[in-house]
Amino acid sequence: MLQIKDLDASIGGTEILRGLSLDVSAGEVHAIMGPNGSGKSTLAQVIAGHSDYEVTSGTVTFKGEDLLELEPEERAREGIFLGFQYPVEIPGVNNAILLREAVNAKRRHQGLDDVDAFEFLKLAREKMAVLGMDPQFLNRGVNEGFSGGEKKRNEILQMAMLEPSLAILDETDSGLDIDALRAVAEGINALRSPDRAIILVTHYQRVLDYVEPDHVHVLSDGRIARSGDKTLALELEDKGYDWVREAASA
Amino acid sequence: MNSTALSFDALERAVAALPDNGLSALRRAALEQLRRDGLPGAREEDWKYTELSSLIEIANNWLDQGAALPAPSMRAAPDAIDATWIRIANGQIDDDSITGLPDGISVKRLSDTVPELAPAGRLGDFNIALLHDGLHISIGQDVTLQRPLGIHVCDEAGDDSVSQVRINIDVAPGSVASFVEYQVSEGEADLYSNSVINLAVADGARADYVRIQNRHKRHNQTSHLTVGLGKDARLRHTSFDLGGRLVRNDLVVDIAQPGAEADFGGLYLVGDGQHIDNHTRVDHRVGPAVSNQEYRGILDGKARGVWNGKAIVHEGADGTDAQQSNHNLLLSRNAEIDAKPELEIYADDVKCSHGTTVGQLDEAALFYLRTRGLSRRDARRMLTRAFAQATIGRTPVEQLHDFLAGAVDSRLRELMHEGDQ
Ligand SMILES: Nc1ncnc2c1ncn2[C@@H]1O[C@H](COP(=O)(O)OP(=O)(O)OP(=O)(O)O)[C@@H](O)[C@H]1O
Ligand SMILES: [Mg+2]
Repeated sequence: MLQIKDLDASIGGTEILRGLSLDVSAGEVHAIMGPNGSGKSTLAQVIAGHSDYEVTSGTVTFKGEDLLELEPEERAREGIFLGFQYPVEIPGVNNAILLREAVNAKRRHQGLDDVDAFEFLKLAREKMAVLGMDPQFLNRGVNEGFSGGEKKRNEILQMAMLEPSLAILDETDSGLDIDALRAVAEGINALRSPDRAIILVTHYQRVLDYVEPDHVHVLSDGRIARSGDKTLALELEDKGYDWVREAASA
Repeated sequence: MNSTALSFDALERAVAALPDNGLSALRRAALEQLRRDGLPGAREEDWKYTELSSLIEIANNWLDQGAALPAPSMRAAPDAIDATWIRIANGQIDDDSITGLPDGISVKRLSDTVPELAPAGRLGDFNIALLHDGLHISIGQDVTLQRPLGIHVCDEAGDDSVSQVRINIDVAPGSVASFVEYQVSEGEADLYSNSVINLAVADGARADYVRIQNRHKRHNQTSHLTVGLGKDARLRHTSFDLGGRLVRNDLVVDIAQPGAEADFGGLYLVGDGQHIDNHTRVDHRVGPAVSNQEYRGILDGKARGVWNGKAIVHEGADGTDAQQSNHNLLLSRNAEIDAKPELEIYADDVKCSHGTTVGQLDEAALFYLRTRGLSRRDARRMLTRAFAQATIGRTPVEQLHDFLAGAVDSRLRELMHEGDQ
């Protein structure tokens, strides 16, 4: 589904990703771990199409297409969803309206009619119930005054409504209380299917207890320093990142 | 001084040709005053950014061609606003619209009264000199109006023309009234409309005032609204400038009694070829009293905006709370705004603040919306709309919100489309 080859990316002239390669197939869950500042969010933003990041070499293909050629909105409509590490507050833009516009943008792209307003609200309320979100959040400004955990749940709500084929969740598990973590993990698991893939960027084993990854990668200094199965996450928890760095430089 | 001077001989002929009625003496006096003072010019601080010469040219053309007031066109006020409409078309009062009004509202032609016309600067004199007729509207004591009183000002410019609107409104003690001023125009010739409105809100009365200006893009307007507030009186005012070419609004709020509360502001949407200037002045002569103003502007293309908010807290006006803010969203590099708050404080115990911002759309928010599948254009529009919503949301007459949202949306669509090119 997603192939990244030898990707170099920089921001403001500083090189962040250096020769990163990653292959994600449909049906898989990949966890990406790694020290602060190693480039995890950079990778997520590059995949989503943030124009501040400059791709200096390498390729990214998504469903066989050159992803780097596409505008962020085209990537979204093609089925890429980024759950932001720091979801943006947009005062004055109604949460429900954004949600509906997002769903409709994708539907139009697929040649479908706009969603029925009643059906839309019903579905949104159902998804919110699963996530333990008060329906009142629909009437508020997007992330406006939301607590850290509420923002993360709102990201998962958007994901649940958009049903992306590739979801990249950048530390969506951070800042969640125990119940919220379980609810969010349920939301993620509900999305798992043979034709979808999920990339979980995380610092913690906790979420991986709920959402079992097929592959775990450690990003260090802008490249994948080590990959393994779910036991790698446990090993990291035990030994820390120095162990990976040492192994990588050895 | 203006580079273009008003042609006084032609003006004098036009004044003499107006119907001889209770206004005649006042017109002549205003003409003489104007002859001495002239119209405001760019050397004056208050008119530094707004040059009236193009309006004077229209006036001179019109005066030279006989200063005719074309027959009023019979355009209806918007159905979407539920109001009791009074109509002034091409500067002429529609008689039908001022008869059979609901209880509690009394309306007289100024020419039938012994009018007291408060000074409104030199454009006020220009207004009186050429005034066909004006209105005196009174809301009786302890009346609560069920529907807003609408003032529908419409002009149709078949040829270059100038029209004047003058209205005095009294809201008697203990009354609650809302007003919707709706200014529109059409026609492909040049037009200059000049309105002067005085609103007196008596002790304990409450007035809500919404002004909507959606004129043709080649038509010009100057407007002067003076509000006097009695003891414990309250004003809530919002103005919307959606159309027009050169627009200058002066709002003067006078607080001479304690306990008054004035909340005012507006939204201006300015595109290519438009120049919109809002000047406000609030005089706090006594305290305690509160004034709070918030203006917002959205400018695209080669737009030009001006906001100047002056608050004067006079000696002894202790307990004054005066807040003012002005926020501007510049959607293009060619748009320009001159924003200036002015606070003059001569009292001791006061709470005053002002804040002015000029900014662009938030790139992080734009990117976030695009990652949700919205096109760049839709994302820009959504954020711009959110910026405007703050003013729509604080507009007093709630039934107007949907209408305003629609009007703002369609103007923004035009504006941002122009800007895209
Ligand atoms: N505008 C910028 N200019 C220079 N360096 C930047 C800029 N933006 C980000 N960086 C740097 O890029 C590096 C990678 O940042 P990134 O956010 O991708 O890290 P991360 O792995 O997501 O970290 P964390 O675990 O803390 O979220 C960091 O060292 C960061 O300081
Ligand atoms: Mg990060």
